[in-house]
Amino acid sequence: MRSGNQARLGSTLPSRESAESGAPLPSRRELFSSLGNGFVGGALAYLLGRDLLSAQPLPADSGQAPDLKPRRPHFEPRAKSVIHLFMNGGPSQIDLFDPKPMLKKYEGQPPGRDLTNDVEQIASVGTLMPSPFEFQKRGRCGMEISEMLPFLSRKVDDIALVRSMFTKHFNHEPAIFLMQSGRTIVGRPSLGSWVVYGLGSENQNLPAYVVLDDPKMLPVNGLQNWQAGWLPPVYQGTRLKSEGSPLLNLKPKEEFPTPVLNMARSILTRLDGDHLHRHPGQPELQARITNYELAARMQIAASDALDLSQESPATHEMYGLNDEATASYGRRCLMARRLVERGVRMVQLYIEEQIWDQHSDLAGGLRYACGKTDKPVHALLTDLKQRGLWDSTLVVWGGEFGRLPLSQHPDKKAGRDHGPPGFSVWLAGAGIKGGTVYGATDELGHRAVENPVSVHDLHATILHLLGMNHRDLVYRREGRNERLTDEYPARVVNGILA
Amino acid sequence: MAALLSRASLFRLSLLTACLAVVPGAIPAVAETDPPPGFETRVLPLLQAKCLACHGPQIQQGELDLSSLERLLEGGAAGPSVVPGSAERSLLFQKVEAGEMPLGQDPLSPGELEAIRRWIDRGALADGQDPGAFQARNDLKPAVTSHDVLAPILHVRCLICHGRRTQEAGLDLRTRASILKGGKSGPAMVPGKPAESLLLQRIQAEEMPPPKDFSRYCVRPVTSPELEKLRRWIADGAPETPSNGASRDSKGSTDRNDTADLWSFQPPSRPAAPRVAQSDRVRNPIDAFLLEKLEARGLGFAPPADRLALMRRAYLDLVGLPPTPDEVRAYHRDSDPQAYERLVDRLLDSAHYGERWGRYWLDAAGYADSEGKVHADNLRPHAYRYRDYVIRSFNDDKPYDRFLLEQIAGDELVDYRKLDSLTPDAVEPLIATGFLRMAPDGTWSGAQNFVPERLDVVADQVEVLSSTVMGLTLACARCHDHKYDPLPQRDFYRFSAILRSAYDPYDWLIPQEPLLAPAGGPFPKRLLRYGSEEELREVKRNNGPVEQEIKRLKRSLEEKAAPFKARLLREKREKIPEALQADVEAALKVAEDSRSQLQKYLVESFQEFLTVEPGELEKRFEEYREESAKVNEAVRKAENKLQRHPSIRALFDMPGEPTPNYLLIRGEHTRPGDAVEPGVPSALQAHTRPFRIRKPEWSSGRRLALAKWLGQPDHPLTARVMANRIWQHHFGRGLVATPGNFGKLGTSPSHPELLDWLATEFVRQGWSVKAMHRLIMTSGAYRQSSGNTGAGATNGHSENSLLSGFPLQRLDAEALRDSILKISGRLDPTPFGPADEVEVQEDGEVTSQCTTAGCRRSVYMLQRRTTPLTMLDTFDAPQLNPNCVKRSQSMVTSQALQLWNSRLARKSARHFAGRVIDAVGSDLESQVEQVYLAALSRWPTASERQAALREIGELDRYWSEHLDSHTPAEPKRSRARWLALSTFCHAMLNSAEFIFY
Repeated sequence: MRSGNQARLGSTLPSRESAESGAPLPSRRELFSSLGNGFVGGALAYLLGRDLLSAQPLPADSGQAPDLKPRRPHFEPRAKSVIHLFMNGGPSQIDLFDPKPMLKKYEGQPPGRDLTNDVEQIASVGTLMPSPFEFQKRGRCGMEISEMLPFLSRKVDDIALVRSMFTKHFNHEPAIFLMQSGRTIVGRPSLGSWVVYGLGSENQNLPAYVVLDDPKMLPVNGLQNWQAGWLPPVYQGTRLKSEGSPLLNLKPKEEFPTPVLNMARSILTRLDGDHLHRHPGQPELQARITNYELAARMQIAASDALDLSQESPATHEMYGLNDEATASYGRRCLMARRLVERGVRMVQLYIEEQIWDQHSDLAGGLRYACGKTDKPVHALLTDLKQRGLWDSTLVVWGGEFGRLPLSQHPDKKAGRDHGPPGFSVWLAGAGIKGGTVYGATDELGHRAVENPVSVHDLHATILHLLGMNHRDLVYRREGRNERLTDEYPARVVNGILA
Repeated sequence: MAALLSRASLFRLSLLTACLAVVPGAIPAVAETDPPPGFETRVLPLLQAKCLACHGPQIQQGELDLSSLERLLEGGAAGPSVVPGSAERSLLFQKVEAGEMPLGQDPLSPGELEAIRRWIDRGALADGQDPGAFQARNDLKPAVTSHDVLAPILHVRCLICHGRRTQEAGLDLRTRASILKGGKSGPAMVPGKPAESLLLQRIQAEEMPPPKDFSRYCVRPVTSPELEKLRRWIADGAPETPSNGASRDSKGSTDRNDTADLWSFQPPSRPAAPRVAQSDRVRNPIDAFLLEKLEARGLGFAPPADRLALMRRAYLDLVGLPPTPDEVRAYHRDSDPQAYERLVDRLLDSAHYGERWGRYWLDAAGYADSEGKVHADNLRPHAYRYRDYVIRSFNDDKPYDRFLLEQIAGDELVDYRKLDSLTPDAVEPLIATGFLRMAPDGTWSGAQNFVPERLDVVADQVEVLSSTVMGLTLACARCHDHKYDPLPQRDFYRFSAILRSAYDPYDWLIPQEPLLAPAGGPFPKRLLRYGSEEELREVKRNNGPVEQEIKRLKRSLEEKAAPFKARLLREKREKIPEALQADVEAALKVAEDSRSQLQKYLVESFQEFLTVEPGELEKRFEEYREESAKVNEAVRKAENKLQRHPSIRALFDMPGEPTPNYLLIRGEHTRPGDAVEPGVPSALQAHTRPFRIRKPEWSSGRRLALAKWLGQPDHPLTARVMANRIWQHHFGRGLVATPGNFGKLGTSPSHPELLDWLATEFVRQGWSVKAMHRLIMTSGAYRQSSGNTGAGATNGHSENSLLSGFPLQRLDAEALRDSILKISGRLDPTPFGPADEVEVQEDGEVTSQCTTAGCRRSVYMLQRRTTPLTMLDTFDAPQLNPNCVKRSQSMVTSQALQLWNSRLARKSARHFAGRVIDAVGSDLESQVEQVYLAALSRWPTASERQAALREIGELDRYWSEHLDSHTPAEPKRSRARWLALSTFCHAMLNSAEFIFY
């Protein structure tokens, strides 16, 4: 099992014997190329990481050290990996996914008491405002999508659109926490942490839960978005950077000559070997040695996974890497594909701080946000399909809330305020029934009224597709069984499943 | 004119009806002339399809059977399932509406929900049953009573202007009586006559709460159902809510007395130390208790630890830093048989002791230097005083009962109204109350200052207090009775009522100045302005000139604004209907208090035409906009130079009675249940002296009563929980492994007698924490070797809980960073004061800002929630949301990467090597010895020495041969050696032996 794997890999690292016998130290290049027998590539790195690792049962209250070994889900999963395209800021359902012709009729009328009650910034509230964009029926299924998403419009037969999401808070911070962790408060484990806690990872040379955030800016709630909360920190999201060195301290800040580095490793191997010898039967000490070996392997595996120069010019073009508007998000979409290809369980993409948060200049803001993401997302869906990853990868697109059918700052270029009671998300890929429209908001697009889907329902559905029952994925803490869905009612949204 | 004024609101009302008509699910009540729906035809088929599998004749989950009307009305364990006439109050409807039921299935469709709602609202009748039957049983609609109206509708919106602090227009809206009394305009309500009630009129007209103040005062408009409720309440004569406390207690949520089986609720006993076979290993009673269990398994203690290993353990354990090579040498030479005991005393006297053990308490208190919750994550510039208080208290060995008393009720010990006359020493107890100010608190931001967020702050503090001091998970009882422990929901509200005279969610103080709002907003700050003379002088020296500058800038802007303002007012007045212009002008010329009724009315009505709101000028005049932006930017810059007035981040009672405290059904502030008085958990009352409030002159006495109640010597929890915490930090695991949960689901104590003995001994020694350290550290158990504590040697008991050997422990994040700094000579030992800034590097690493004197200990680094120091974060320093009673210990790749590649590690290794060379000169063997003494507190063995000489020699040769290409100007030989030794030191700082002790 794992030890076998370690033994094989470990044997290529400088051993105590070779150091003590004074044999010439292998160069770093020799060392690492011997890892992959000269091959460098995703497939091999993937195989190296995953072979010999058989599935473990879900972690229970066994007191065993937390790890990322692959674990068997509760039942046969539909999806093995998740790519979560988190669109923080609150994309406007009314202008993108959820056409509301009735708004034309009420255009310019002030809101009633109850609609006003959902407004976050009351000082700037305007009147009912229809979408300035045209909607058209698309694809074989005839799903209506806004003209702002021309690329996604070609993929409607592959996605299931949920138009009846709702959430509980009209501020970004709590609403994002809710979407990420099931509660509006900080400190609980994120969805991704639960997923890798439940399933481990198929590739031990890469982090199990990878976050690709926007190099421009951290999202609202920053690093807390991918925290493990009180789950063991090993389940925390690891931020891989899409520019420069992918992982913090993956390489030393200053270059050292290879022989010096190798000697340093060899000294450490000797010190720890001797120490382990004096403290036999201490699993932590062995784990620590393994950890340093993994760190060394990760140096190549992570660099390799994010090396987009290995992709063809056609692929670069498809993801929009040659166009300034789409290059940044395109890079991350392409990286996401390369990561799930290598067995990474959970990849989350974030977007620069408030790209979807159009309090004013709705049209300009949406044009920018869609222009940045629409083409890359389309490329990702296409690419997953053509590489046979479609049936094992779940793609989730959505933000923390939607927007109100009202104008905001009507004196300037109008925008829309946050709209928690109704918004849209879509899912695609493994286990999803393409071409589905699920649920509906009221005629103003304000509140989810038909088949409302809570954030907990969405979480339960994602876990379900990964082969887990949200009620059984528990972590025992201070004597209590904790869950992602906490004590909230949650159901699997069967209507969107294939 | 009246028509002109109200057109907008009329329009809005008409639209509201339009909206209602098109929104499914918000169908207005239809005329109730059709016969009411019957159970058998309308409801039973639905129940059969969705509910009866679990609540039917065969199975009755929750003792509930829905298969007949009779059984349905009877209800189940949670009470009646239906309140005829009110779907909203019926459990059955609540559950299906919230989607909680049917369990695991799709929720009911809106049509099905509507069918159930209508059936209940129309009386929950059987097919063909006479509506009169229901009429006779109940009123058609349940009465709206004061509970439904006061807190959920009025308190949440109105008290900021009509409450304890301010009573605008003489009006106080806190109670039914005060509403009846009314204000300047007479009674606010006429029971039975909604149309004549000012309260309703003003709300209905959307004058109250004033829409322009919504954002500033953090209120939302009254919704239509709320308005209707208010109307009905007044129409029905504004009935008070009858207390149904007794009936509630009789079913389900009683104050249960089933504590007999919960060990931790019984007062600790004082067991005698048992007799054991290996009596030669018994140094004090601790050993006897431990050996008894070990011997029962055929085990014993491990051999005593090596002398230097024990020395290192004592250092790392008590001060979190390794001994210097000289200290190792001196201790090695010390032949006094009491050398170890004297060492422990020395370390307990060290000023670094409080920095190590204070940190544990700061975890439990949830200490942070920022507010959290909101993205801006505002800093808490005054929090450090509490951190320093904790460190000082540990250094002074402040008796634990006193330590708790000050932290829980310091403001009730010291009269904070006389703050200015108090010496820095006298204000210590006020600083101590920072303990109850550490929860994440985003309410300084207007967007997060609504009642639910305020309740979250209070709940977090209850969690901190109960988990840290009592080992209880009381916060679990916020929404329902505790599922496992004898803690009814009422206990949570009793307990939070203790905090309510300071933390009143309807009379809120914000934690600090909001970021962008102008000073002096509607919410006072929860800060006490206080500084030592020296601090005040410094602030004055700094701020004086800056304030002058700001004043000058603002004056200049006002001067520039004047002509624009005049122009705008002129334009505005022209918009007043012509016929009235002259009258308004005339009214304005009359002094405010001598205006006639009509004039007053005119001025009030045209307020917006007569005043210039902030921002209006900028909107209207482009020339002014530019000018104003320029000046305001200059003001902002100047303001950034202002030092905040030194303050204490304290918790303090506010004068007067707090708003009434209710149990909140399901934790929702819109659903108040019974009024609840302050008190302690009911199940503990049987085993403790009563919680009794004696009111000091200036405060409520509530927290004082709590602290005294906790400090009683035989309290079942206080001493046990702290003794367990002390044990946990010495051995890595508490006798109760779940230090924050002494309840049924917590781990039961591995050695209950030992825990009781320690708890009683703790009290007997005057609650002295240092006495406990001495006791534990001089035990035979503590002095065991850690050589072999793996599974084999412990005969299968998990986690070595029986302690047959000292459990190997990893340095925690702070001790690791501090030790690296100390060894490399970069530790700046300066204690106390404002937190040291951190820097976010380009690659995202958060590092500490150090001076030429070095870096200070980790406990003094800025603990901003959004930028935790990467080094500490990587090694499991917890995010405190709200607190942490036990850190997890991870083994992740980022730790290896951090220690191997980070700036801190690389730089420290070079400094380490430099200090070694400085100390012992160029002799390689002495250098190796010094590295071992500094990093591992021992001499190298012969073979280690050999290996090290060879390794460093090889590196030295390499550098000698290759240095030219690097820095040709420097002396090659000494630099080569230094670099070679650096590499060795770097490996040493990464080694397991350095990190585990």
